[in-house]
Amino acid sequence: MTPFNAASAHYTRRQFFGKSALGLGTAALASLLGGNAFGAGAPAGRRAVPGLPSLPHFAPKAKRVIYLFQNGAPSHVDLFDYKPKLREWHGKQIPDELTGGKRFSTMTGNQTARPVLGEITQFAQRGKSGAWVSSFLPHMAEIADDLCFVKSMHTEAVNHAPAITYFLTGSEMAGRPSMGAWLSYGLGNETEELPAFVVMTSRDKEASCGQIFYDFYWGSGFLPTKYQGVAFRGSGDPVLYLSNPEGLSREVRRGLLDDLAHLNEIKREDFGDPEIATRIAQYEMAYRMQASVPELTDLSKEPASVLEMYGPDVKRQGTYAYNCLMARRLAERGVRFVQVMHAGWDQHRNLNTQLKIQCDDVDAPSAALIKDLKQRGLLEDTLVIWGGEFGRTPFLQGKIDDVKQWGRDHHPYAFTLCMAGAGVKPGFTYGATDEFGFNAVQNRVHVHDFQATVMHLLGIQHEKLTYKFQGRNFRLTDVHGHVVKDILS
Amino acid sequence: MLSLIPRARRAGVYLAVGFAGLAPASAAEAIDFNRDIRPILSDACYHCHGPDAATREAKLRLDEREGLFRTKDDVTVVVPGKPEASELIQRIISPHADEVMPPPEATRQLKPAEKELLKRWIAGGAPWGRHWAFLPPVRPAVPAVADRAVARRVRNPIDAFIFARLAQEKLAPAPEADAAALLRRVALDLTGLPPTPAETAAFVADRAPDAYERAVDRLLASPRYGERWAWDWLDLARYADTNGFQGDPERTMWPWRDWVVNALNANMPFDQFTIEQLAGDLLPGATRDQKIASGFHRNNMFNGEGGRIPEETRVENVFDRVETTATVWLGATFSCARCHDHKYDPITQKDYFAMYDIFNQMSETGRLGGGGQVLPILDVSTPEELAAVKTATARVDTVAKAVEAYERKKFPRPEGKPMSESPDALKLPGNLPAVLAKVEPKRRGVDALLEAVPYFRDTAPDPEYAALLQASLDAVRARNNANSRITKVMIMDELPELRETFILNKGNYEAKTDVKVVGAIPAVFQTAAAGAPPAARVNRLGLARWLVSPENPLAARTAVNRAWQAFFGTGFVKTAEDFGVQGEPPSHPELLDWLATEYTARGWDTKALHRLIVTSATYRQASRTNPALQERDPENRLLARGPRHRLPSWMIRDQALAAAGLLVEPPGGPAVKPYQPAGIWEEATFGKKTYQQDHGEALYRRSLYVFWRRIVGPTTFFDAGARQVCTVKIARTNTPLHALVTLNDPAYVEAARVLAQRVLAAGGDDRAKLGAAFQFATTRGPRANEAAILHSRLGKLRAQFAADPAAAKALAAAGEAPRPAELDSVEHAAWTALCSLILNLDETLSKE
Repeated sequence: MTPFNAASAHYTRRQFFGKSALGLGTAALASLLGGNAFGAGAPAGRRAVPGLPSLPHFAPKAKRVIYLFQNGAPSHVDLFDYKPKLREWHGKQIPDELTGGKRFSTMTGNQTARPVLGEITQFAQRGKSGAWVSSFLPHMAEIADDLCFVKSMHTEAVNHAPAITYFLTGSEMAGRPSMGAWLSYGLGNETEELPAFVVMTSRDKEASCGQIFYDFYWGSGFLPTKYQGVAFRGSGDPVLYLSNPEGLSREVRRGLLDDLAHLNEIKREDFGDPEIATRIAQYEMAYRMQASVPELTDLSKEPASVLEMYGPDVKRQGTYAYNCLMARRLAERGVRFVQVMHAGWDQHRNLNTQLKIQCDDVDAPSAALIKDLKQRGLLEDTLVIWGGEFGRTPFLQGKIDDVKQWGRDHHPYAFTLCMAGAGVKPGFTYGATDEFGFNAVQNRVHVHDFQATVMHLLGIQHEKLTYKFQGRNFRLTDVHGHVVKDILS
Repeated sequence: MLSLIPRARRAGVYLAVGFAGLAPASAAEAIDFNRDIRPILSDACYHCHGPDAATREAKLRLDEREGLFRTKDDVTVVVPGKPEASELIQRIISPHADEVMPPPEATRQLKPAEKELLKRWIAGGAPWGRHWAFLPPVRPAVPAVADRAVARRVRNPIDAFIFARLAQEKLAPAPEADAAALLRRVALDLTGLPPTPAETAAFVADRAPDAYERAVDRLLASPRYGERWAWDWLDLARYADTNGFQGDPERTMWPWRDWVVNALNANMPFDQFTIEQLAGDLLPGATRDQKIASGFHRNNMFNGEGGRIPEETRVENVFDRVETTATVWLGATFSCARCHDHKYDPITQKDYFAMYDIFNQMSETGRLGGGGQVLPILDVSTPEELAAVKTATARVDTVAKAVEAYERKKFPRPEGKPMSESPDALKLPGNLPAVLAKVEPKRRGVDALLEAVPYFRDTAPDPEYAALLQASLDAVRARNNANSRITKVMIMDELPELRETFILNKGNYEAKTDVKVVGAIPAVFQTAAAGAPPAARVNRLGLARWLVSPENPLAARTAVNRAWQAFFGTGFVKTAEDFGVQGEPPSHPELLDWLATEYTARGWDTKALHRLIVTSATYRQASRTNPALQERDPENRLLARGPRHRLPSWMIRDQALAAAGLLVEPPGGPAVKPYQPAGIWEEATFGKKTYQQDHGEALYRRSLYVFWRRIVGPTTFFDAGARQVCTVKIARTNTPLHALVTLNDPAYVEAARVLAQRVLAAGGDDRAKLGAAFQFATTRGPRANEAAILHSRLGKLRAQFAADPAAAKALAAAGEAPRPAELDSVEHAAWTALCSLILNLDETLSKE
């Protein structure tokens, strides 16, 4: 049969197999993957995976994103949105004009007594910017001047899964591509040794909440499945099936893969199917990932001072602290989108005990990540986002004299989200709620506005990154979203 | 050169020039309104001048003939034959920002070539036609194939259509695939499993002219046929073994899955297959099986999250049923019309809610009742299942008594009073006062115990109490498991008093408008003569019957298209989920309609349809390609060669099991839990769900029977439908993660290890053994150069494992399948590694 000369011309057999001990020749592999040995934005020596040729639409401020998602909804009125009125009104029924006609979850939907609950923490103004941050978050308070607070967030969903899905995919119903999938589809990756979109999850130690991490939080929806997030595991191999089977060494694997490539190449020459070249590259990348992932998770070269910043849990795989450090290491290695999710913020009846525990879990590691990125110069082109899916009610869930079981219910009408790094104003507060922290009233920012802004920071016009499915051009922001220009630096 | 262009970009270029670059390139070619013009109008104009009345500008509607040719105030939109007199042309070429269309701010602008096409279309008389998919298929004449040599190769009308088209494109069909490759292809396609070496040898030796047809008939008659085709139907039916969402409770829908397998094996006509699944419960004198069949529309996810408003869940479930039905039987994207009239297709929001009304009449409330089996259900439990629950419940009570006795000491309180009277108990942290102190031991749930056990183990250590609570947790889990195994199939029913349906504003469950609608077929498909009395309220049975009636132009087309997609990798309509005006036009419209009419004429005989396809010369072509053909038709839409694609991951697993001789094939029954890395479920569910791997035969059942937890699907599959919403399109991507599965997943390592045993036991020299292993995976023996590479590798592997006997021992012991004790572990390990290589060959992973 006719050899497939057109393709063969670009990588001779000698190129293919001559360097087999190191895997495929660099140039050969890059061209196979359609990449470019020095792909746009890739640090020297690192091969990029290309995105769409039309992207970015303009020079981006951020090259990558670390999204610290706080599942369960942190209480904005106890942590960031200081409202002295709550203390004044503590125990009194919240004005009807605020709650009338509003939708709450069934947990307080039928509760008639809705007494205002004063903040359970102490607030103070921090840094030069004077941002109000709770005493429960001392480390984040310390870096208040690096943070950009958006206090006027609002959403439509009142239940966790739909609300989180809304934030991460632009739709309350499961099944649309998530933000990370959109970005890896549009922008590719700065490295081909690691996935473009990595997800890591953790939860509070007491396992007090029932929120589950659904894989549609990092799904690819109708985008090709290769854009879905790769969930690093909290124990064992971070990537499924990464390790060779017991008894099969890396050396044996190399030999097997050399022959596999050779046999597949014979097949390709015979059949001319370019898919076979992709298959060869796919196996080589798997081999390289088998080395790059252990290198990623090897913390032996991290200075003690750095480890200390992230707190005592940092060496324990599967903790939020470990995941934050890993997020920095992934960012350094060029991974486009890192989604760290920490569950346990859902204090319906344990606000007085659990909120502190939850804050202790995330406070130091979150702040350490931002400081660490900053000291390495990575914060300049990395966007860090910290926030949950909605806020919590300024009024009480439960009974006012049952102090131990005080709680707050889901609250979509106002909450706070903060960002740091590439392209957002540091030490800045945007938007405001009413005096009860009930409704976002000034410079309101909807979930779609937030998404449009993130896309903008990455050099993408959110209306223009679309994918045709079921006859319609879909996008992350559905048919909405305005870039919040005022928070851009 | 083409192969070096990145796939994504290549696809972009390809789409931009239209299907295979086949739009009329030269002025000489005739313009086809549906193929060439409507897509431009739809894409660029319908958004503001289309079916959606709410956003229509200037009251101008270009998707209907009246609007397109309208004259108003002396201005005519399109004047046939006169582009210069047509306002449409004046507007698209206008240099004035306030006049030009689409307006400058629109995202979609017209390309110069598109403007040119519109001009030529009008100059040529502006022929107009309704969108092809909304018109009934008309049986076309079978074309003649001019070239004598090619004509001789025609085996059935499919070939006449395909070859005639190839001739137009100045392409010729490829020669027939060789016998072994062809048998493997058709066996994988029809049964999902490769032929055995004996079957292959017999087939290759069979010189009778009908040898292939007989092989096909044998495969069609195999019970494996139903298991293979059930997979695709389960993807589309969003079938899984749990509900999804918080708690992800188990359900027992497997009798419905078995119903599908049996119906496919019995070759139940597709019209009956449809009616029983959509409305089996409403058939007069509905049988048990027909009621089970109606479980089709209970396979959707179910959100029973705490705090969830039941009506919101119920409404979302109805949406899902409407949209799944539309995708499967109409190839229509109804979801757009949930919130507003469809922007491109003539589906109004009223049409949507008329269909909604049909599915709005079930007794489901949206509330979760106990486990994952939500009413209405059909109880098909067995005495054994009930006995298991009784035993498990007794165990919970026994442990609870011990816990209670201990707690009386630990949390002192007055005699006869509950633990909640103990001040100490109420001082416990977190949720413990509420979920532990206030709940008597035998009523405590998994959540409470999951919080209590670590507290009394680590935080406030009391080893004896912690152990008792752990025993309680184990017992409760066992009882919950036993409960979840009581087989109850969720089915459909109809309320005695029907709900009233109102259009919901923007599809919001609590935003009822005052527009009342009743069940009806979408207006675009209504064929009743003008002036006929309005049809009665349509119910589910009425809808099901209409869907498979000659009045629905799309049921047969969408079904035939899905079959074509399964055999050739892509359907005639590439957008299998969308046959609407924004969908991709069919590659072979005449053949699509010929097959659709043939299918219905043969009484919706699915096996006959599959037989027709696989016995065509088109299907039997070799799949070899070459640079010129690759450049001309990279996706093989014209079919100048046979199909070649990576197999679905579930089929790769089944094939590996078959190659190793591990596969066991008892039919149906509850799902099985084969190998899965420890902790996958626990991580996703905070320890609430523990994966208890099965042992023995359950490890080697077909992939169809693998337990599917909706929130974290089986890890052994990749590129699989998520089983969350209806999926009709095949995903085929390549990532390094896929390679890691087939290299390192214990299921594959074990298959390699047992395949090694198989060839070692068969005896012969190394070459013979190599040949046998290669044959099991690819259905052919290796060529000399291939054998040489493998043989040389074998030598190296022997040396490597001889130098590391511990490693050899470990690899030779992979998996739970038995291994002969006398087998030398170095030799066994070397062959295991080699077999793993063979199981990862591109040829093994591909249908060729």
